[in-house]
Amino acid sequence: MSQVLEMNERGSRPAAAGAPASPAHAETKTGIFAITYSIAFPLLYTAFERLNWPLFTYHPVLGNVDFWRQSAGVGPPMFWYGWIVLAAAAAFVVALAATTISAQRLRQTTVFCCALAVLWPAALAGLRIFILDWATFDAEFLNSPWVAAVPAFAGATAITWLTGPRFADRLWTSWLLIAPIGGLVVLGYSLQQYFVR
Amino acid sequence: MDILFSVVREDTFWRILLFVHFLLAVGLLAAVSLQVASVLMPARQAAGHVIDRSPMPAQSFTILIIVLYVLQALMGAWIYVKYRTYVRIPMEELRHWWTVGSFEFKEHVVTMGMGLLPAYWYFWRQPGSAEHAGIRRWVTVFLALSVWYSFVVGHVANDFRGVGS
Repeated sequence: MSQVLEMNERGSRPAAAGAPASPAHAETKTGIFAITYSIAFPLLYTAFERLNWPLFTYHPVLGNVDFWRQSAGVGPPMFWYGWIVLAAAAAFVVALAATTISAQRLRQTTVFCCALAVLWPAALAGLRIFILDWATFDAEFLNSPWVAAVPAFAGATAITWLTGPRFADRLWTSWLLIAPIGGLVVLGYSLQQYFVR
Repeated sequence: MDILFSVVREDTFWRILLFVHFLLAVGLLAAVSLQVASVLMPARQAAGHVIDRSPMPAQSFTILIIVLYVLQALMGAWIYVKYRTYVRIPMEELRHWWTVGSFEFKEHVVTMGMGLLPAYWYFWRQPGSAEHAGIRRWVTVFLALSVWYSFVVGHVANDFRGVGS
């Protein structure tokens, strides 16, 4: 008991820790902004890195900064800064927009966007496999991100509808771990060339 | 930079910067490790409520961790310019592929950690709240792992060509 009292005096808050959870959707606008930003940023960063969309390119040998992607030049081009700045700016806009919609809509939109982030590249990869290994006609027109967008959007809509608002609500903060870990899996896989030589 | 290099030699300047980066990394590592220990090893009260065991409340590290993390990311981004031209190219020529790959992955790990900082800050504003206890714990663990990974990989890269190598 004395140990318990001693621990309480150290500044911990056992009473608050044991307090009942506040009702769902209780986040303030600051909380919604912070959580949405932290979910959107890893998804956008992964997408921009994989698409190689930097806002700018830095050429360290010359000390030049060029808008967008400029591979040509003296020495190696550096895109990393450009991916980060673009992802940060885009996540900021997304997080700001998130504060203007209802909590339930936000959670379902998050499920939709995360499902889309997985399904879109998967659909494109699937189409490319189909074109190479299965198609018996000239299916090159299918090799387009816009064609892949059709099944991806349909799949993401179906997932959002099937999972429902309660599941979206339960999953809401879990995206904070799913998004960066998923992003790191994708980005780590893209670096396999260094580890299998 | 030219004015600076007229006072101190260029390679000395980068070594000093790298050393400061290392010192800040040790501070960040200590802070985030203490915080993660306090969230992973809570003591139990007689009544069954989970309480903090740390001699300092874990919350007190939050702002320090955020400031050090951002500072470290900025310093790392600055030093990265030198790494890209002065370290990575010879690393590739000498076929140190694992070191190059691990360092490339470190960039992504640090970036993901940076993206998590707003949510991390938000969850630690009310450390006693039971509502976000689980996600607060795991976001903190993620940040700690990102710091540890970056420290180890950075140290390996430094051993290739850096302070004392």
